[in-house]
Amino acid sequence: MKQSLSRIFILMKRNIKEILRDPLSLIFTLAMPLFMEILFYLLFHKLTAQFEMKYLAPGIVVFAQSFIALFVGLLIAVDRSTSFLTRLYVSKTKSFEFIFGYALSIVPIVFVQSILFFLVGGIIDASIFSISMIYAILLSLVTSLFFIGIGILLGTICSEKSIGGISSIVIAGQSVLSGMWFPIEGLGEGMINFMNCLPFRNATLLIQNTMNGINDTFNDFVLPLIIVLAYTIVVFIVAIIMFKKKMKDK
Amino acid sequence: METAIKINNLTKVYKDITAVDNLNLEIYDGELFALLGVNGAGKTTTIKMLATLTKPTSGDALIFDSSILKDEDKIKEVIDVSMQETAIARKLTVEENIDFYAKLSGQSNEELQETKEKIIESFELSKVLKKQASKLSGGWQRKLSIALALVSKPKILFLDEPTLGLDVIARRELWKTINELKGKMTIILTTHYMEEAEALSDRIGIMKDGKLLFVGKKEELFEKTGKNNVEDAFIEIVSGGELL
Repeated sequence: MKQSLSRIFILMKRNIKEILRDPLSLIFTLAMPLFMEILFYLLFHKLTAQFEMKYLAPGIVVFAQSFIALFVGLLIAVDRSTSFLTRLYVSKTKSFEFIFGYALSIVPIVFVQSILFFLVGGIIDASIFSISMIYAILLSLVTSLFFIGIGILLGTICSEKSIGGISSIVIAGQSVLSGMWFPIEGLGEGMINFMNCLPFRNATLLIQNTMNGINDTFNDFVLPLIIVLAYTIVVFIVAIIMFKKKMKDK
Repeated sequence: METAIKINNLTKVYKDITAVDNLNLEIYDGELFALLGVNGAGKTTTIKMLATLTKPTSGDALIFDSSILKDEDKIKEVIDVSMQETAIARKLTVEENIDFYAKLSGQSNEELQETKEKIIESFELSKVLKKQASKLSGGWQRKLSIALALVSKPKILFLDEPTLGLDVIARRELWKTINELKGKMTIILTTHYMEEAEALSDRIGIMKDGKLLFVGKKEELFEKTGKNNVEDAFIEIVSGGELL
Protein backbone atom coordinates (compact mmCIF):
# COMPACT_ATOMS: atom_id res chain seq x y z
CA MET A 1 0.00 0.00 0.00
CA LYS A 2 2.80 2.39 0.97
CA GLN A 3 4.66 1.56 -2.24
CA SER A 4 1.50 2.10 -4.29
CA LEU A 5 0.91 5.54 -2.73
CA SER A 6 4.53 6.44 -3.31
CA ARG A 7 4.32 5.44 -7.01
CA ILE A 8 1.04 7.36 -7.44
CA PHE A 9 2.69 10.46 -5.93
CA ILE A 10 5.74 10.12 -8.23
CA LEU A 11 3.51 9.74 -11.31
CA MET A 12 1.35 12.65 -10.16
CA LYS A 13 4.34 14.98 -9.81
CA ARG A 14 5.57 14.07 -13.26
CA ASN A 15 2.13 14.58 -14.84
CA ILE A 16 1.69 18.01 -13.24
CA LYS A 17 5.06 19.11 -14.64
CA GLU A 18 4.20 17.77 -18.10
CA ILE A 19 0.89 19.65 -18.19
CA LEU A 20 2.10 22.92 -16.68
CA ARG A 21 5.11 23.08 -18.99
CA ASP A 22 2.84 23.02 -22.01
CA PRO A 23 1.90 26.68 -22.64
CA LEU A 24 -1.20 25.61 -24.58
CA SER A 25 -2.64 23.87 -21.55
CA LEU A 26 -2.30 27.06 -19.49
CA ILE A 27 -3.93 29.10 -22.25
CA PHE A 28 -6.90 26.76 -22.64
CA THR A 29 -7.48 25.84 -19.00
CA LEU A 30 -6.87 29.27 -17.45
CA ALA A 31 -6.36 32.23 -19.79
CA MET A 32 -9.10 31.61 -22.34
CA PRO A 33 -11.95 30.81 -19.89
CA LEU A 34 -10.89 33.82 -17.81
CA PHE A 35 -11.02 36.04 -20.88
CA MET A 36 -14.47 34.66 -21.73
CA GLU A 37 -15.70 35.24 -18.19
CA ILE A 38 -14.72 38.92 -18.30
CA LEU A 39 -15.83 39.47 -21.90
CA PHE A 40 -19.26 37.85 -21.62
CA TYR A 41 -19.94 39.62 -18.35
CA LEU A 42 -19.05 43.01 -19.80
CA LEU A 43 -21.04 42.46 -22.99
CA PHE A 44 -24.17 40.75 -21.77
CA HIS A 45 -24.75 40.97 -18.02
CA LYS A 46 -27.24 43.80 -18.37
CA LEU A 47 -29.10 42.07 -21.17
CA THR A 48 -29.77 38.68 -19.62
CA ALA A 49 -29.56 37.16 -16.14
CA GLN A 50 -27.64 34.27 -17.73
CA PHE A 51 -24.48 36.35 -17.69
CA GLU A 52 -24.75 37.84 -14.24
CA MET A 53 -21.59 36.87 -12.40
CA LYS A 54 -23.42 34.63 -9.93
CA TYR A 55 -24.36 32.35 -12.85
CA LEU A 56 -21.46 33.06 -15.19
CA ALA A 57 -18.58 32.32 -12.76
CA PRO A 58 -19.84 28.83 -11.77
CA GLY A 59 -20.63 28.12 -15.43
CA ILE A 60 -17.13 29.10 -16.50
CA VAL A 61 -15.64 26.89 -13.77
CA VAL A 62 -17.35 23.81 -15.23
CA PHE A 63 -16.77 24.93 -18.83
CA ALA A 64 -13.01 25.22 -18.15
CA GLN A 65 -13.06 21.71 -16.71
CA SER A 66 -14.11 20.37 -20.12
CA PHE A 67 -10.68 21.44 -21.42
CA ILE A 68 -9.15 19.27 -18.72
CA ALA A 69 -10.49 16.24 -20.60
CA LEU A 70 -8.48 17.34 -23.63
CA PHE A 71 -5.20 17.79 -21.75
CA VAL A 72 -5.42 14.58 -19.70
CA GLY A 73 -6.33 12.72 -22.87
CA LEU A 74 -3.48 14.30 -24.80
CA LEU A 75 -0.95 13.46 -22.09
CA ILE A 76 -1.99 9.79 -22.02
CA ALA A 77 -2.18 9.52 -25.82
CA VAL A 78 1.34 10.97 -26.16
CA ASP A 79 2.65 8.69 -23.39
CA ARG A 80 1.23 5.74 -25.31
CA SER A 81 2.54 6.76 -28.71
CA THR A 82 6.09 7.42 -27.47
CA SER A 83 6.39 4.07 -25.67
CA PHE A 84 6.74 5.97 -22.41
CA LEU A 85 3.88 3.92 -20.97
CA THR A 86 5.29 0.68 -22.40
CA ARG A 87 8.43 1.24 -20.40
CA LEU A 88 6.41 1.93 -17.27
CA TYR A 89 4.38 -1.24 -17.85
CA VAL A 90 7.64 -3.15 -17.40
CA SER A 91 8.01 -1.55 -13.97
CA LYS A 92 5.93 -2.73 -11.02
CA THR A 93 3.43 0.07 -11.48
CA LYS A 94 -0.14 -1.23 -11.54
CA SER A 95 -2.94 0.03 -13.78
CA PHE A 96 -4.88 1.66 -10.91
CA GLU A 97 -1.70 3.53 -9.91
CA PHE A 98 -1.45 4.97 -13.43
CA ILE A 99 -5.12 6.02 -13.33
CA PHE A 100 -4.75 7.68 -9.91
CA GLY A 101 -1.48 9.27 -11.01
CA TYR A 102 -3.18 10.90 -13.98
CA ALA A 103 -6.40 11.80 -12.13
CA LEU A 104 -4.85 13.29 -9.00
CA SER A 105 -2.37 15.37 -10.98
CA ILE A 106 -5.32 17.34 -12.36
CA VAL A 107 -7.01 18.09 -9.04
CA PRO A 108 -4.61 20.93 -8.04
CA ILE A 109 -5.08 22.48 -11.50
CA VAL A 110 -8.87 22.31 -11.11
CA PHE A 111 -8.55 23.88 -7.67
CA VAL A 112 -6.54 26.78 -9.08
CA GLN A 113 -9.07 27.17 -11.93
CA SER A 114 -12.02 27.40 -9.54
CA ILE A 115 -10.34 29.86 -7.17
CA LEU A 116 -9.20 32.04 -10.08
CA PHE A 117 -12.57 32.23 -11.84
CA PHE A 118 -14.51 32.84 -8.61
CA LEU A 119 -11.97 35.36 -7.36
CA VAL A 120 -11.96 37.36 -10.59
CA GLY A 121 -15.77 37.09 -10.69
CA GLY A 122 -15.87 38.44 -7.14
CA ILE A 123 -13.56 41.31 -7.99
CA ILE A 124 -15.89 42.26 -10.85
CA ASP A 125 -19.06 41.74 -8.82
CA ALA A 126 -18.36 41.65 -5.08
CA SER A 127 -21.92 40.49 -4.31
CA ILE A 128 -20.97 36.90 -5.19
CA PHE A 129 -18.51 36.64 -2.29
CA SER A 130 -20.04 34.40 0.39
CA ILE A 131 -19.37 31.24 2.33
CA SER A 132 -21.27 29.39 -0.43
CA MET A 133 -18.41 30.20 -2.78
CA ILE A 134 -16.12 27.97 -0.72
CA TYR A 135 -18.64 25.11 -0.95
CA ALA A 136 -18.92 25.69 -4.71
CA ILE A 137 -15.12 25.54 -5.06
CA LEU A 138 -14.99 22.27 -3.13
CA LEU A 139 -17.86 20.82 -5.12
CA SER A 140 -16.16 21.79 -8.39
CA LEU A 141 -13.46 19.25 -7.50
CA VAL A 142 -16.21 16.59 -7.60
CA THR A 143 -17.59 17.71 -10.98
CA SER A 144 -14.04 17.79 -12.39
CA LEU A 145 -13.76 14.03 -11.82
CA PHE A 146 -16.23 13.42 -14.65
CA PHE A 147 -14.07 15.36 -17.12
CA ILE A 148 -10.87 13.77 -15.78
CA GLY A 149 -12.44 10.33 -16.30
CA ILE A 150 -13.45 11.27 -19.85
CA GLY A 151 -9.88 12.47 -20.49
CA ILE A 152 -8.38 9.20 -19.22
CA LEU A 153 -10.81 7.17 -21.32
CA LEU A 154 -10.18 9.17 -24.50
CA GLY A 155 -6.41 9.15 -23.95
CA THR A 156 -6.54 5.38 -23.57
CA ILE A 157 -8.50 4.66 -26.72
CA CYS A 158 -7.60 7.55 -29.07
CA SER A 159 -4.38 8.27 -30.91
CA GLU A 160 -2.31 11.41 -30.37
CA LYS A 161 -3.67 12.78 -33.66
CA SER A 162 -7.36 12.06 -33.08
CA ILE A 163 -7.59 13.11 -29.43
CA GLY A 164 -7.93 16.84 -30.22
CA GLY A 165 -10.93 16.34 -32.49
CA ILE A 166 -12.69 13.86 -30.25
CA SER A 167 -12.12 15.94 -27.08
CA SER A 168 -13.67 18.91 -28.82
CA ILE A 169 -16.96 16.95 -28.82
CA VAL A 170 -16.81 16.96 -25.01
CA ILE A 171 -16.02 20.69 -24.98
CA ALA A 172 -18.86 21.38 -27.43
CA GLY A 173 -21.13 19.15 -25.32
CA GLN A 174 -20.37 21.15 -22.23
CA SER A 175 -20.91 24.44 -24.11
CA VAL A 176 -24.20 23.54 -25.76
CA LEU A 177 -25.79 21.00 -23.42
CA SER A 178 -24.99 22.82 -20.18
CA GLY A 179 -27.26 25.68 -21.21
CA MET A 180 -24.82 28.18 -19.76
CA TRP A 181 -24.44 30.29 -22.88
CA PHE A 182 -28.12 30.71 -23.77
CA PRO A 183 -31.52 30.61 -22.01
CA ILE A 184 -32.93 27.12 -22.38
CA GLU A 185 -36.55 28.16 -21.82
CA GLY A 186 -37.04 28.55 -25.56
CA LEU A 187 -36.02 24.95 -26.25
CA GLY A 188 -38.49 22.11 -26.66
CA GLU A 189 -39.43 19.96 -23.66
CA GLY A 190 -37.75 16.92 -25.19
CA MET A 191 -34.47 18.76 -25.59
CA ILE A 192 -34.59 20.07 -22.03
CA ASN A 193 -35.29 16.57 -20.70
CA PHE A 194 -32.36 15.26 -22.77
CA MET A 195 -30.06 17.94 -21.33
CA ASN A 196 -31.28 17.12 -17.82
CA CYS A 197 -30.29 13.48 -18.28
CA LEU A 198 -26.70 14.34 -19.20
CA PRO A 199 -23.90 15.30 -16.82
CA PHE A 200 -23.03 18.61 -18.53
CA ARG A 201 -26.08 20.62 -17.43
CA ASN A 202 -26.22 18.90 -14.05
CA ALA A 203 -22.57 19.72 -13.29
CA THR A 204 -23.22 23.38 -14.11
CA LEU A 205 -26.49 23.49 -12.12
CA LEU A 206 -24.80 21.84 -9.15
CA ILE A 207 -22.16 24.55 -8.86
CA GLN A 208 -24.58 27.39 -9.69
CA ASN A 209 -27.14 26.22 -7.12
CA THR A 210 -24.52 25.64 -4.43
CA MET A 211 -23.23 29.14 -5.02
CA ASN A 212 -26.58 30.89 -5.19
CA GLY A 213 -28.63 29.01 -2.63
CA ILE A 214 -30.58 25.78 -2.61
CA ASN A 215 -34.36 26.01 -2.34
CA ASP A 216 -35.31 22.42 -3.07
CA THR A 217 -32.57 20.18 -1.66
CA PHE A 218 -33.45 17.16 -3.79
CA ASN A 219 -33.98 18.83 -7.16
CA ASP A 220 -31.39 21.59 -6.79
CA PHE A 221 -28.61 19.57 -5.21
CA VAL A 222 -29.09 15.83 -4.61
CA LEU A 223 -30.41 14.91 -8.08
CA PRO A 224 -27.74 16.80 -10.08
CA LEU A 225 -25.07 15.37 -7.76
CA ILE A 226 -26.34 11.81 -8.23
CA ILE A 227 -26.45 12.21 -12.03
CA VAL A 228 -22.90 13.65 -12.18
CA LEU A 229 -21.54 10.99 -9.82
CA ALA A 230 -23.28 8.19 -11.73
CA TYR A 231 -21.71 9.29 -15.03
CA THR A 232 -18.34 9.75 -13.29
CA ILE A 233 -18.41 6.23 -11.84
CA VAL A 234 -19.39 4.67 -15.17
CA VAL A 235 -16.73 6.65 -17.07
CA PHE A 236 -14.02 5.66 -14.57
CA ILE A 237 -15.00 1.98 -14.64
CA VAL A 238 -14.88 1.94 -18.46
CA ALA A 239 -11.58 3.90 -18.42
CA ILE A 240 -9.98 1.44 -15.98
CA ILE A 241 -11.17 -1.58 -18.00
CA MET A 242 -9.87 -0.06 -21.26
CA PHE A 243 -6.57 1.01 -19.67
CA LYS A 244 -6.02 -2.51 -18.29
CA LYS A 245 -6.85 -3.99 -21.68
CA LYS A 246 -4.36 -1.67 -23.40
CA MET A 247 -1.73 -2.59 -20.80
CA LYS A 248 -2.19 -6.27 -21.62
CA ASP A 249 -2.24 -5.63 -25.38
CA LYS A 250 1.09 -3.83 -25.21
CA MET B 1 27.82 -20.40 -18.08
CA GLU B 2 24.60 -19.64 -16.19
CA THR B 3 21.41 -19.45 -18.24
CA ALA B 4 19.65 -16.10 -18.04
CA ILE B 5 16.75 -16.87 -20.38
CA LYS B 6 15.41 -20.25 -21.43
CA ILE B 7 12.70 -20.11 -24.07
CA ASN B 8 10.54 -23.23 -24.52
CA ASN B 9 8.25 -23.60 -27.55
CA LEU B 10 7.21 -19.94 -27.36
CA THR B 11 4.45 -19.09 -29.84
CA LYS B 12 2.40 -15.99 -30.50
CA VAL B 13 -0.51 -15.98 -32.92
CA TYR B 14 -2.36 -12.79 -33.87
CA LYS B 15 -5.64 -13.74 -35.56
CA ASP B 16 -4.34 -15.58 -38.64
CA ILE B 17 -0.68 -14.51 -38.39
CA THR B 18 1.86 -16.54 -36.44
CA ALA B 19 4.31 -13.85 -35.30
CA VAL B 20 6.50 -16.23 -33.31
CA ASP B 21 6.44 -19.90 -34.15
CA ASN B 22 7.56 -22.46 -31.59
CA LEU B 23 10.73 -20.64 -30.53
CA ASN B 24 13.35 -22.49 -28.49
CA LEU B 25 16.43 -20.63 -27.34
CA GLU B 26 18.85 -20.27 -24.46
CA ILE B 27 20.59 -16.99 -23.67
CA TYR B 28 23.45 -16.92 -21.19
CA ASP B 29 24.04 -14.54 -18.33
CA GLY B 30 26.26 -11.62 -19.29
CA GLU B 31 26.19 -12.13 -23.04
CA LEU B 32 25.00 -9.73 -25.72
CA PHE B 33 22.64 -11.65 -27.93
CA ALA B 34 21.58 -10.06 -31.23
CA LEU B 35 18.30 -11.14 -32.72
CA LEU B 36 18.30 -10.47 -36.47
CA GLY B 37 15.50 -10.55 -38.96
CA VAL B 38 13.73 -8.53 -41.61
CA ASN B 39 10.61 -6.55 -40.71
CA GLY B 40 7.88 -8.86 -39.43
CA ALA B 41 10.29 -11.64 -38.52
CA GLY B 42 8.98 -11.75 -34.94
CA LYS B 43 11.85 -10.04 -33.10
CA THR B 44 9.81 -7.36 -31.33
CA THR B 45 7.01 -9.81 -30.46
CA THR B 46 9.61 -12.10 -28.90
CA ILE B 47 10.98 -9.24 -26.80
CA LYS B 48 7.48 -8.16 -25.77
CA MET B 49 6.69 -11.67 -24.57
CA LEU B 50 9.96 -11.96 -22.65
CA ALA B 51 9.40 -8.52 -21.11
CA THR B 52 5.89 -9.62 -20.00
CA LEU B 53 4.25 -6.99 -22.22
CA THR B 54 2.40 -9.59 -24.30
CA LYS B 55 1.10 -13.00 -23.26
CA PRO B 56 2.27 -15.90 -25.44
CA THR B 57 -0.35 -18.01 -27.17
CA SER B 58 1.53 -21.11 -26.04
CA GLY B 59 4.90 -22.08 -24.64
CA ASP B 60 6.82 -20.39 -21.85
CA ALA B 61 10.14 -18.75 -21.07
CA LEU B 62 12.12 -18.78 -17.86
CA ILE B 63 14.03 -15.69 -16.85
CA PHE B 64 16.45 -16.67 -14.11
CA ASP B 65 14.09 -19.59 -13.46
CA SER B 66 10.97 -17.39 -13.21
CA SER B 67 8.18 -18.06 -15.69
CA ILE B 68 6.89 -15.23 -17.86
CA LEU B 69 3.43 -16.76 -17.41
CA LYS B 70 3.40 -17.08 -13.63
CA ASP B 71 6.05 -14.82 -12.11
CA GLU B 72 5.50 -11.46 -13.78
CA ASP B 73 6.38 -9.44 -10.68
CA LYS B 74 9.63 -11.36 -10.08
CA ILE B 75 10.64 -10.87 -13.69
CA LYS B 76 9.91 -7.15 -13.56
CA GLU B 77 12.50 -6.87 -10.79
CA VAL B 78 15.33 -8.01 -13.04
CA ILE B 79 14.50 -6.67 -16.51
CA ASP B 80 14.13 -3.38 -18.30
CA VAL B 81 13.39 -2.51 -21.86
CA SER B 82 14.12 0.17 -24.42
CA MET B 83 11.64 -0.10 -27.26
CA GLN B 84 12.01 1.18 -30.84
CA GLU B 85 10.27 4.45 -30.08
CA THR B 86 11.98 6.85 -27.71
CA ALA B 87 10.43 6.42 -24.26
CA ILE B 88 11.08 9.58 -22.28
CA ALA B 89 9.01 12.15 -20.42
CA ARG B 90 9.28 14.92 -22.98
CA LYS B 91 8.62 17.96 -20.83
CA LEU B 92 10.96 16.85 -18.02
CA THR B 93 14.64 17.68 -18.05
CA VAL B 94 17.20 14.91 -18.51
CA GLU B 95 17.92 14.98 -14.77
CA GLU B 96 14.22 14.90 -13.87
CA ASN B 97 13.75 11.91 -16.18
CA ILE B 98 16.49 10.00 -14.35
CA ASP B 99 15.08 10.98 -10.95
CA PHE B 100 11.58 9.97 -12.03
CA TYR B 101 12.59 6.45 -13.12
CA ALA B 102 14.87 5.93 -10.11
CA LYS B 103 12.13 6.93 -7.67
CA LEU B 104 9.56 4.82 -9.49
CA SER B 105 11.84 1.80 -9.19
CA GLY B 106 11.83 2.37 -5.42
CA GLN B 107 15.36 3.71 -4.91
CA SER B 108 16.18 5.69 -1.77
CA ASN B 109 17.67 9.17 -2.10
CA GLU B 110 21.20 7.84 -1.51
CA GLU B 111 20.75 5.08 -4.09
CA LEU B 112 19.24 7.58 -6.50
CA GLN B 113 22.25 9.88 -6.24
CA GLU B 114 24.62 6.98 -6.84
CA THR B 115 22.60 5.72 -9.82
CA LYS B 116 22.36 9.20 -11.28
CA GLU B 117 26.10 9.82 -11.09
CA LYS B 118 26.84 6.49 -12.78
CA ILE B 119 24.29 7.04 -15.55
CA ILE B 120 25.45 10.60 -16.21
CA GLU B 121 29.05 9.42 -16.43
CA SER B 122 28.40 6.33 -18.57
CA PHE B 123 26.22 8.17 -21.06
CA GLU B 124 28.07 11.52 -20.89
CA LEU B 125 24.83 13.31 -20.03
CA SER B 126 26.33 16.10 -17.91
CA LYS B 127 26.20 18.69 -20.68
CA VAL B 128 22.48 18.13 -21.34
CA LEU B 129 21.39 17.43 -17.77
CA LYS B 130 19.24 20.55 -17.33
CA LYS B 131 17.82 20.47 -20.86
CA GLN B 132 14.20 19.54 -21.47
CA ALA B 133 14.11 16.11 -23.12
CA SER B 134 11.92 17.31 -26.00
CA LYS B 135 14.60 19.82 -26.97
CA LEU B 136 17.35 17.21 -27.38
CA SER B 137 18.37 15.92 -30.82
CA GLY B 138 17.06 12.51 -31.93
CA GLY B 139 20.39 10.88 -31.08
CA TRP B 140 20.46 12.33 -27.57
CA GLN B 141 16.83 11.39 -26.98
CA ARG B 142 17.57 7.78 -27.94
CA LYS B 143 20.66 7.80 -25.76
CA LEU B 144 18.59 9.10 -22.84
CA SER B 145 15.91 6.49 -23.55
CA ILE B 146 18.49 3.70 -23.29
CA ALA B 147 20.10 5.32 -20.23
CA LEU B 148 16.71 5.34 -18.51
CA ALA B 149 16.38 1.59 -19.07
CA LEU B 150 19.47 1.18 -16.88
CA VAL B 151 18.23 3.31 -14.01
CA SER B 152 16.41 0.34 -12.46
CA LYS B 153 19.72 -1.62 -12.53
CA PRO B 154 18.36 -4.54 -14.58
CA LYS B 155 20.12 -7.90 -14.86
CA ILE B 156 18.61 -8.27 -18.33
CA LEU B 157 18.22 -5.41 -20.78
CA PHE B 158 16.09 -5.65 -23.92
CA LEU B 159 17.07 -3.21 -26.64
CA ASP B 160 14.61 -3.19 -29.52
CA GLU B 161 16.16 -1.57 -32.61
CA PRO B 162 18.16 0.88 -30.47
CA THR B 163 19.71 2.77 -33.38
CA LEU B 164 16.76 2.81 -35.78
CA GLY B 165 16.55 6.13 -37.62
CA LEU B 166 19.76 7.57 -36.17
CA ASP B 167 22.51 9.13 -38.28
CA VAL B 168 25.82 7.33 -38.58
CA ILE B 169 27.60 9.37 -35.90
CA ALA B 170 24.80 8.98 -33.35
CA ARG B 171 24.69 5.27 -34.18
CA ARG B 172 28.42 4.81 -33.60
CA GLU B 173 28.20 6.72 -30.32
CA LEU B 174 25.42 4.41 -29.16
CA TRP B 175 27.46 1.37 -30.20
CA LYS B 176 30.25 2.64 -27.99
CA THR B 177 27.85 2.99 -25.06
CA ILE B 178 26.31 -0.45 -25.63
CA ASN B 179 29.78 -1.99 -25.92
CA GLU B 180 30.65 -0.55 -22.54
CA LEU B 181 27.61 -2.27 -21.03
CA LYS B 182 28.72 -5.67 -22.30
CA GLY B 183 29.51 -8.13 -19.54
CA LYS B 184 27.77 -6.04 -16.90
CA MET B 185 24.34 -7.47 -17.73
CA THR B 186 22.64 -9.72 -20.26
CA ILE B 187 21.60 -7.73 -23.31
CA ILE B 188 19.15 -8.89 -25.94
CA LEU B 189 19.31 -6.60 -28.92
CA THR B 190 17.08 -6.73 -31.96
CA THR B 191 18.23 -5.02 -35.11
CA HIS B 192 18.07 -5.23 -38.85
CA TYR B 193 21.41 -3.48 -39.21
CA MET B 194 23.80 -6.37 -39.87
CA GLU B 195 26.93 -4.38 -39.09
CA GLU B 196 25.43 -3.56 -35.69
CA ALA B 197 25.07 -7.22 -34.82
CA GLU B 198 28.57 -7.91 -36.16
CA ALA B 199 30.13 -5.13 -34.09
CA LEU B 200 28.33 -5.73 -30.82
CA SER B 201 27.11 -9.27 -30.33
CA ASP B 202 28.57 -12.34 -28.68
CA ARG B 203 26.02 -14.57 -30.38
CA ILE B 204 23.48 -14.09 -33.13
CA GLY B 205 20.00 -15.49 -33.71
CA ILE B 206 18.35 -15.15 -37.13
CA MET B 207 14.56 -15.15 -37.37
CA LYS B 208 12.29 -15.34 -40.37
CA ASP B 209 8.48 -15.60 -40.34
CA GLY B 210 8.53 -16.21 -36.60
CA LYS B 211 10.97 -19.11 -36.81
CA LEU B 212 14.54 -19.21 -35.56
CA LEU B 213 16.72 -20.28 -38.48
CA PHE B 214 20.17 -19.97 -36.90
CA VAL B 215 21.76 -19.51 -33.47
CA GLY B 216 25.47 -19.24 -32.85
CA LYS B 217 28.61 -17.11 -32.89
CA LYS B 218 29.42 -15.09 -35.99
CA GLU B 219 32.33 -17.39 -36.76
CA GLU B 220 29.88 -20.31 -36.79
CA LEU B 221 27.57 -18.30 -39.05
CA PHE B 222 30.42 -17.61 -41.47
CA GLU B 223 31.42 -21.25 -41.41
CA LYS B 224 27.88 -22.45 -42.02
CA THR B 225 27.23 -20.11 -44.93
CA GLY B 226 30.72 -19.81 -46.39
CA LYS B 227 30.52 -16.02 -46.19
CA ASN B 228 32.83 -13.62 -44.43
CA ASN B 229 30.42 -10.94 -43.23
CA VAL B 230 27.13 -11.02 -41.31
CA GLU B 231 25.11 -9.30 -44.05
CA ASP B 232 25.94 -11.88 -46.75
CA ALA B 233 25.56 -14.72 -44.26
CA PHE B 234 22.18 -13.35 -43.16
CA ILE B 235 20.95 -13.12 -46.77
CA GLU B 236 22.19 -16.63 -47.43
CA ILE B 237 20.25 -17.97 -44.43
CA VAL B 238 17.06 -15.95 -44.97
CA SER B 239 16.78 -16.24 -48.76
CA GLY B 240 18.54 -19.53 -49.18
CA GLY B 241 21.17 -17.81 -51.30
CA GLU B 242 18.71 -16.67 -53.96
CA LEU B 243 19.54 -13.00 -53.52
CA LEU B 244 23.34 -13.36 -53.62
